[in-house]
Amino acid sequence: MSDIKGTENKGAVAKDNEEKRVGVFVCECGVNIGGVVNTKAVADYIGTLPGVKVTSVNKFTCSDSGQADIQQKIKEHNLNRVVVAACSPKTHEPTFRACIEQMGLNQYFLEFVNIRDHCSWIHMWEKEKATEKAKDLIRMGVERSKLLEPLQASEVPVTDKALVIGAGVAGMQSALDLADMGFQVYLVEKEPSIGGRMARFDKVFPTNDCSICILGPKMVEVARNKNIKIMSYSEVKAVEGYVGNFNVKVEHKPRYLDVAKCTGCAKCSEVCPVEVPYDFNEGFGTRKAIYVPFPQAVPLRAVLDKENCISCKACAKACQSGAINYDMQTSYTDINVGVIVGAVGFKTYDPEPRHDFGYGLYDNVITAMEFERLLNAAGPTGGHVVRPSDCKEPIRVGFVNCVGSRDKATNIYCSGVCCMVTIKNAQLLKEKRPETDHTIMYIDIRTPFRGYEESYNRSRALGVKFLRGRPVEVKEDPVTKNIKVRVEDTLANEIRNLEFDLIVLATGIVPHEGINQIQQLLKLSKAADGLLMEAHPKLKPVDTTIDGVFLAGVASGPKDIPYAVSQGSACAGRATILLKNKKAITEGITAVVNPEVCVGCQVCIPMCPFQAIKMDETPYLNTGIKKANVVKALCKGCGTCVTACPTGALEQSHFKNNQLLAQIKNVFKFQEVAA
Amino acid sequence: MSAEAAAAPAAAKTGGWEPKIVAFCCNWCSYGGADSAGMGRFQQPASTRIIRVMCSGRIDPLHVFNAFLEGADAVLVTGCHIGDCHYVNGNDKTKIKYKYLENVARELGIEKERLQLNWISASEGEKFANFIRDVTAQIKKLGPSPLKPEGVA
Amino acid sequence: MQKSEMYVGWSTKEDVRKRGGSGGLVTSMLAAALEKKLVDAVVVLKKINEFEAVPIITSDVNEVLNSAGSLHSVPSNFAKLIANRNLKVALPAKGCDVRGIIEQGKRNAINLDNTFIVGLNCGGSMHPVVTREMLEVMYKLKPEDVHGEEIEKGKLIFETKDGKEHAITIDELEEKGYGRRESCRYCTIKVPNNSDIACGNWGVTGDLVGKATFVEINSEKGAKLLQNAIDAGYVQVQKPDEKGIAMRAKIKGVMEDLGKKWKGKVFVPIDNGRLEYFRKELEHCIDCGACKAVCPTCSCGDVSKCTEYHFRGDAYKMSMYHLVRFLHLADACIGCGQCSDVCPVDIPLTRLYRRFANPVQEQLKYEPGMDMRKPPYFEVKLNE
Ligand SMILES: Cc1cc2nc3c(=O)[nH]c(=O)nc-3n(C[C@H](O)[C@H](O)[C@H](O)COP(=O)(O)OP(=O)(O)OC[C@H]3O[C@@H](n4cnc5c(N)ncnc54)[C@H](O)[C@@H]3O)c2cc1C
Ligand SMILES: Cc1cc2nc3c(=O)[nH]c(=O)nc-3n(C[C@H](O)[C@H](O)[C@H](O)COP(=O)(O)OP(=O)(O)OC[C@H]3O[C@@H](n4cnc5c(N)ncnc54)[C@H](O)[C@@H]3O)c2cc1C
Ligand code: SF4
Ligand code: SF4
Ligand code: SF4
Ligand code: SF4
Ligand code: SF4
Ligand code: FES
Repeated sequence: MSDIKGTENKGAVAKDNEEKRVGVFVCECGVNIGGVVNTKAVADYIGTLPGVKVTSVNKFTCSDSGQADIQQKIKEHNLNRVVVAACSPKTHEPTFRACIEQMGLNQYFLEFVNIRDHCSWIHMWEKEKATEKAKDLIRMGVERSKLLEPLQASEVPVTDKALVIGAGVAGMQSALDLADMGFQVYLVEKEPSIGGRMARFDKVFPTNDCSICILGPKMVEVARNKNIKIMSYSEVKAVEGYVGNFNVKVEHKPRYLDVAKCTGCAKCSEVCPVEVPYDFNEGFGTRKAIYVPFPQAVPLRAVLDKENCISCKACAKACQSGAINYDMQTSYTDINVGVIVGAVGFKTYDPEPRHDFGYGLYDNVITAMEFERLLNAAGPTGGHVVRPSDCKEPIRVGFVNCVGSRDKATNIYCSGVCCMVTIKNAQLLKEKRPETDHTIMYIDIRTPFRGYEESYNRSRALGVKFLRGRPVEVKEDPVTKNIKVRVEDTLANEIRNLEFDLIVLATGIVPHEGINQIQQLLKLSKAADGLLMEAHPKLKPVDTTIDGVFLAGVASGPKDIPYAVSQGSACAGRATILLKNKKAITEGITAVVNPEVCVGCQVCIPMCPFQAIKMDETPYLNTGIKKANVVKALCKGCGTCVTACPTGALEQSHFKNNQLLAQIKNVFKFQEVAA
Repeated sequence: MSAEAAAAPAAAKTGGWEPKIVAFCCNWCSYGGADSAGMGRFQQPASTRIIRVMCSGRIDPLHVFNAFLEGADAVLVTGCHIGDCHYVNGNDKTKIKYKYLENVARELGIEKERLQLNWISASEGEKFANFIRDVTAQIKKLGPSPLKPEGVA
Repeated sequence: MQKSEMYVGWSTKEDVRKRGGSGGLVTSMLAAALEKKLVDAVVVLKKINEFEAVPIITSDVNEVLNSAGSLHSVPSNFAKLIANRNLKVALPAKGCDVRGIIEQGKRNAINLDNTFIVGLNCGGSMHPVVTREMLEVMYKLKPEDVHGEEIEKGKLIFETKDGKEHAITIDELEEKGYGRRESCRYCTIKVPNNSDIACGNWGVTGDLVGKATFVEINSEKGAKLLQNAIDAGYVQVQKPDEKGIAMRAKIKGVMEDLGKKWKGKVFVPIDNGRLEYFRKELEHCIDCGACKAVCPTCSCGDVSKCTEYHFRGDAYKMSMYHLVRFLHLADACIGCGQCSDVCPVDIPLTRLYRRFANPVQEQLKYEPGMDMRKPPYFEVKLNE
């Protein structure tokens, strides 16, 4: 029978036999500490604690002379542990770690005690109590310091190749920058062509330049870059490994034609008898079962949509290069990369299920994305905006903003771009057909960036009307199919009844399936808006909690094109640090499993948000039990698994149970009296 | 027994008794909140001793119990607001583990004021200070913890 | 054969049928599983006398057949016996055995796919030491004279070597502090539907009473076990009659209600002085660790958080060891009574541990050992 520990021991015994020689450095921080805490009394008391070889009081311990004092005393007294009692470790720990490391001590032999923020500053008028508390805090630190163990931040090699998932404008930019810095890039895009959303717009705000005219060349640049391997019509199916060494499985959907032979001439589509709604045009117009996605597509190759193909084989006959292959299968490529950029973009909010503002019920209520396609010269109507009910060109156009955004019933966040999209679209149509009349119904108009407010002013000057209010009632006139809107003008404080030929809904930005997919594959987290979460909203906007994985574009929150492009470049920059150094430094503070104690219960596995704990493949020694193992490169050192482990086999280095317990026990003046 | 230790219960009777509170704080939020309290000079009773861990997920019931058994008059479990954990969801786990802790403490007959959970961000210095003030006042009313060993200060 | 079907069956071997607790079906089914290589080993109790038996893991068909019969004064628990052994095994299991096995399964110490659990209906078991004392005090019998024991119609009947039967109602015994172990009184798992197949005598009617076993199939594995035994010629079954099914359901209900009532009686809220209550109860603990070693839901080895930071020299007002275990078992304790049984200084541990487990398990709506649901703490999902 297993007797439980029956020693008379207090627990805080160091395992190693090396004598602990502690030096304690009390900082006065000018008068910040010294003006409240009696530092001399504190130092005197601390000097009586076992193991403390020297104490020292400095005006500013972090100053050059303060640091020199530490270094000198390390030498003089042969110290092997250093306790600094000063300000916050959050700001100054790195300074003192470096200071003792210079003297050949392991940087983790530093214990930092906060007697300023947590003591002198908050007990300014209780000098005695503050002094007593400082004694307690330092005593806790001294006892903990004796149990500190040396740690080494470890290095993992980094494969100098990158994977970019999603070839919208953000992903393309990232791939280009990485490629230009000389790294091999795999660019995986799930659609048959790269380009993303931007390829579908007519013009882009705020300057209203032709979207495909500026995007097209970039797409060609991507295709021509020797370092970029485009994998279009492909998706990432599995990701294993960690920073520097990700093994990725990419699935290639069959195009049913040999891309090497296809020239993109589209002869095949000419003969194909099947017509289906054209998804690229938001369902307006039709395409064939075999088609080239759009004239500027990259790669400019046809794709056969097997679901709608009736196997008449007309295309095979028409294709002069004999590219068609009806038996093509799904294929896979395994790649190994050091870093991953996720740039999978978004979809627009779908007003159909809720019939927001009559969408889906009335023909003449459309979305802004649909409007974009109608405006586009290469779109279904050759650039003529017509209304769906009778294909007539509308005169009175009403725009409704914030559809599916800033609304408790759908999404509470602001989609950021819709105001500008509406302003752009109204402008574009007004410029094309001055006789048109535009009313934008909004909650607020948000125009924060360069050129945006100017664009807004231009709209007003053009005669676009702005009405602050959300339609409360939208009805179709059954005869004319015009749309009647009741809306409260909240500035004029009156209810207005308006009639429009066409209503355009500025639908917001929402996550799509791709977001869930890469969230799961890469073990990322999601923010409240359902899009992917960055490591820190301010200071690490393109990093993620997974080392070596970065995010660009709308995938990590609503943004416009310039912002998405900047993030693409930012990701490339962040990734290059790893790719160029060829190594990643991983956290020195990690969880560690003691296989002697682990019973393989797997309680720890689901605790880790980074999937850092794996079970061994084979049993440990002759125990017959497979033990848990922490993959250092994945562990971030939070210690959550350590709390969960019932056996104590898991320990968090630098925050080990005995180290924390030594601190706890020394809160109290128990030890001195426990004879 | 040291003179200090012997004097402690007497001090408690005279009302000048200062409870000893152990607060577990996560490095990224509540510890930062305590720092902010200092930077804002939000004065607090000198009752609390902070133990820093990287994430509230590391706050082990083992340590909480040990703090009580050593003599803590109250133990505070703190971390980032839900959704803000530096390690994705360590605090979600803390929340569940805390339920267990709370139940055990209640069954043991430890007053609810003596074990408290609070989410405090790094910018909420005033909130941190108010929390310490409130808890200290509550504990002063309750007196020393029934788990406090004899002669411990 | 499939899940939730019921049968009445018996061993085709006359002597096994005679010796068996009801119809010898359980031992025959276990033996058949062994013979037909459904499993590599079987766990049974090897009887020493009426009050003593040791669990053994055997691959000997005869040893299995010899074990026929119910021992009401052997409150063993088989979960830990088969933990971490990687066995392909079949075993009889009372409700608490089943729960222990499932909990070990969740902690990866038992592969449930390879474990065939033959559940035994259980009205309760008795502590051997208490039983001996009861025989002398209540029945005025010498334990050595006792030859067999049986529970029938709420009475505990002992048969002495001279062939005479001695009966006292269980109610009366328990009023005097004898009878079933305290944890069995408030146990509400009377028909172990968490096992692969639940066996018992409740529901057997007419001529078959005492000569047949009533079974309910709870899983595919259970169906396989029974079919295998029939195919191997070890057991015969027939459909139960409606009356029997109704009777079984009724007794089950009555017993569960009784269990709930007992729960109320044992766990009277302590409004004041709870700390003092626990302190007093644990005062005499000698830190032997037996209660941990025996606990069927705990999967730790010798070293664990409850033991490593507990020091006898600490002048604490409460045991660090027990405090940590109170928490660790709050969602895991199945109330099997093993810890109380084993404690050398007779601390009513199960009563103490349930004080913590009851509220936590109620609050979290989590019943350990009843299905594969993980304890809520292990279940926290990413991003939810
Ligand atoms: C109606 C409308 C009009 C707009 N007009 C303007 C404008 O005029 N000016 C402006 O600055 N901004 C405008 N925006 C905003 C602009 O669309 C975005 O800023 C920009 O498209 C973001 O680019 P992205 O690369 O992040 O995403 P996307 O363009 O969406 O690209 C993401 C790419 O990833 C691919 N993908 C998705 N999932 C996967 C997967 N699982 N695997 C592989 N690939 C995947 C997609 O197919 C797509 O090609 C507008 C937005 C809308 C809705
Ligand atoms: C303590 C106890 C209480 C019971 N109470 C009821 C009840 O109230 N109502 C009811 O319908 N049925 C009850 N049973 C079940 C019943 O007694 C029979 O075991 C069951 O009907 C199977 O009979 P059988 O002849 O097929 O089993 P058998 O062929 O006799 O096989 C019984 C098997 O159970 C094993 N066994 C014997 N004693 C124990 C024990 N204490 N712990 C674990 N395994 C053991 C033996 O090793 C043997 O392998 C109880 C059983 C036990 C052990
Ligand atoms: S310490 Fe945190 S990051 Fe590391 S393995 Fe444990 S849970 Fe995962
Ligand atoms: S929780 Fe602890 S004992 Fe269980 S598998 Fe993980 S490390 Fe091993
Ligand atoms: S605890 Fe329940 S299942 Fe276990 S022996 Fe007692 S009554 Fe039977
Ligand atoms: S604590 Fe006691 S009653 Fe609860 S499961 Fe463990 S041994 Fe059984
Ligand atoms: S079995 Fe009894 S004496 Fe032994 S450790 Fe458990 S409670 Fe203490
Ligand atoms: S980092 Fe603060 S709770 Fe996890």
